Amino acid sequence: MNTFTAPEIDYVAIAPILIVAIAALLSVLTETFLPRSVRRPVQMILTLISLIGALIVLVINRDIRTITGGGAVAIDGPALVLMGTILILALLSAFLVAERSLDSLGDSFAPSAAALPGSVDEREFSARGYFQTEIWTLFLFAVLGMLAFVVANDLLFMFVALEVMSLPLYLMVGMARRRRLLSQEAALKYFVLGAFSSAFFIFGAGLVYGFAGSISLPEINDALASTAGETLLIVIGMAMLLVGLLFKVGAVPFHQWTPDVYQGAPTPITAFMGATVKVAAFGAMMRLLYVAFSGIQWDWEIILWAVSILSMIIGSLIALTQSDVKRMLAYSAIAQSGFILVGVVAASPSGISAVMFYLIAYGLVTVGTLAVISMVRDSTGEATHLSKWAGLGKKSPVLGAVMAVFMLSLAGIPLTSGFVIKFSVFAAGIAEGDTWLVIAAVVASIIAAFFYVRVIVVMFFSAPNENTASVAVPSIFTTITVAATVTATLVLGIIPQPMIDLLTNAGIFIR
Amino acid sequence: MSIDGELVVFIICGGLSVIGALGMVLSRKAVHSALFIAMVMINLAILYIANSAPFLGMVQIIVYTGAVMMLFLFVLMVVGVDSSDSLIETIRGQRLFGILFGVALAILLIGGIGSSLGDKPDIGLKAANDEFGGNVEGIANLIFSDYLFAFQATAALLITAGLGAVILTHREAWKPKASQKELSVARFMVGAGHPGNKPNPGVYARHNAVNTPAILPDGSLALDSVPEPVRSRDDSLIVDHRAVSTVVELVESEDQN
Amino acid sequence: MDPIYYIYLATLLFSIGAIGVLVRRNAIIVFMSVELMLNAANLVFVAFARMNGNLDGQTVAFFVMVVAAAEVVVGLAIIVQVFRTRASASIDEPNLLKY
Repeated sequence: MNTFTAPEIDYVAIAPILIVAIAALLSVLTETFLPRSVRRPVQMILTLISLIGALIVLVINRDIRTITGGGAVAIDGPALVLMGTILILALLSAFLVAERSLDSLGDSFAPSAAALPGSVDEREFSARGYFQTEIWTLFLFAVLGMLAFVVANDLLFMFVALEVMSLPLYLMVGMARRRRLLSQEAALKYFVLGAFSSAFFIFGAGLVYGFAGSISLPEINDALASTAGETLLIVIGMAMLLVGLLFKVGAVPFHQWTPDVYQGAPTPITAFMGATVKVAAFGAMMRLLYVAFSGIQWDWEIILWAVSILSMIIGSLIALTQSDVKRMLAYSAIAQSGFILVGVVAASPSGISAVMFYLIAYGLVTVGTLAVISMVRDSTGEATHLSKWAGLGKKSPVLGAVMAVFMLSLAGIPLTSGFVIKFSVFAAGIAEGDTWLVIAAVVASIIAAFFYVRVIVVMFFSAPNENTASVAVPSIFTTITVAATVTATLVLGIIPQPMIDLLTNAGIFIR
Repeated sequence: MSIDGELVVFIICGGLSVIGALGMVLSRKAVHSALFIAMVMINLAILYIANSAPFLGMVQIIVYTGAVMMLFLFVLMVVGVDSSDSLIETIRGQRLFGILFGVALAILLIGGIGSSLGDKPDIGLKAANDEFGGNVEGIANLIFSDYLFAFQATAALLITAGLGAVILTHREAWKPKASQKELSVARFMVGAGHPGNKPNPGVYARHNAVNTPAILPDGSLALDSVPEPVRSRDDSLIVDHRAVSTVVELVESEDQN
Repeated sequence: MDPIYYIYLATLLFSIGAIGVLVRRNAIIVFMSVELMLNAANLVFVAFARMNGNLDGQTVAFFVMVVAAAEVVVGLAIIVQVFRTRASASIDEPNLLKY
């Protein structure tokens, strides 16, 4: 009979995650004990300090490479880069969540999520200036889930982290202040489809466990290497795991939720979700495929080829037909997932670096674009129909210029980060022999450029009419976010070399 | 394949599980579906025990069936027990597509698994259960060593769940609750409606069926004595028995003539 | 008996659950079907734990139960909120979001 031995835990390695976890718990306590008037500033300060603190600790300990927590957590180069990306993007999104000068009624969230839309309760809460400050708690828990998701080294921790990341997002999507019916419907749809794909994930994990006798990623790899070879069991298991992960990034055919959720969610949450969930999900996907399933690379490459081509083409084609800016951005996000998958399929260190660069740059552009969208308003709230953007560039040139930079970056025009990231991903793909995939990607990029440039054309080359929305003046929060993202987009486009060097050294997954 | 106790248990419990699953998917009423899935879960608990997982079997019954499914039933009570599906499909052929997808999935999975698991040895859990002195001890060892972080992350998950439930459903009271005196005063204000009890259907009328309105002292009908569902469905359901009694008097007077 | 029969049963239950999610329109029944799928996954873990001879599968099944319980809480809270707003539990009636 054995006795219990405690696992060894490297607290320094997991310090960023611990900081965010402690902040989330303190956030719950502030909700419980502090009076209403003090909650909002305390929550905001707590969130900002914890995210910045975690980032500082991460940068200080950037040379750690270890597997800890009884084999459940792997801190390696990609993990550190992805954690840093998530923290930066979360910080920028947190500024958007804090913004309350754009909407005359307050911030972007319903004053009380439990009050029925259009009821006396809701009007009363709004008039009294109540805020749903629990949004900060949910925000921190979502960040915690994402950080855990990219460092998870076994399937159970990955599944639990997936749920910790997703549940707060399901809740936050339904808490918009304006168009609450749309928001609640989006939350319901996101939740049902999310739960459905999580069930596929855990069933696939079960099949993989049956094959390998273990759920730890390195041990699955050992089992694949030692047995007579792959069997259909593990391929099916891996495919079902991928279903769960591809749902999170919105790849075809698991993209049904994306347009509805992007449109219905409050804009700061769309920014947060659109940027960071992709980072977390692609990070986990790469770890899963490269560490556990490198033995059956041929099988998952076929699957990802197909998903990538479908996502790029279908996402771009449908985006052409959209007249709502947020929905168009959602379909463009589907297409961008396809582009990122080109890098994942490459399965080389340069591919990994290219994917990470793509995630960073695309995340920044997404947050920036949605920050700009949140500033374009009319009497009913945000004006997201493209017809209301006519002549906006003439009415407010700064906003027009910023939006133009973001659109050009998404389209992949040189001098913006979008060109560099597409180039690195395509180069990695061609180096690994996926030439047809890259050709399809280039074709999709050309199609996509049409709807990105259309936004610029509508803004600058149409005359402003009486329907054109106006631009609300933001407070320091949104201004910081927009300034940071547009600067980063231009800097990464003009001098990308420092970032490329940083990422090249971080392209190895630990086993 | 020998006929042993485990096979019998498998056939009975497995069969009941499949029947329960089909019942859940095919039931018209949501409460029936909830009860069918509770049946599935209890049968699965028995199968867990048959697979040397007694702790898990007990947790399945106590936590999963006993707490989670009861939560479903509570919510069904709040939402409306008779909420039924609309039979109109939003996307044409979605029902057919769903069934085909499920059948294809079943064939793919069973075929794939069957072909690749043909001769996997059944090691059994005797050694693993004895390693730490029991099934519970063995699971405890794993939870606190290999899966410690998953355990802590699950704590974060439960906090989120509790917080989310409170955010979405707890309506804060922004005005103090009206006291009984205030409610009573409001009831007797002019124009506030009927201050006392409303008459039951059929008071002073010839019949006391639920669709017979009561007759007020001045001979007029009290329409609000008929219950709301009957009143709102169809006006012709309300029978005015004053007219009938008048006809009877008319006939009687004709007979006398 | 051959423990692989448990896996077949689990696969069958999983497929029935998947059909339930795709076919039914009532949000609560769709969610119950997802619960059925999670239960099927649990059965896979328990059966393979027995076949592999280690308790990892049972531990994972235990955690899946906890996660499913938390998911049920959040999901039903969202459904109750939508119901209160809309006085119905159908997925289709909120047809505000078009293609």
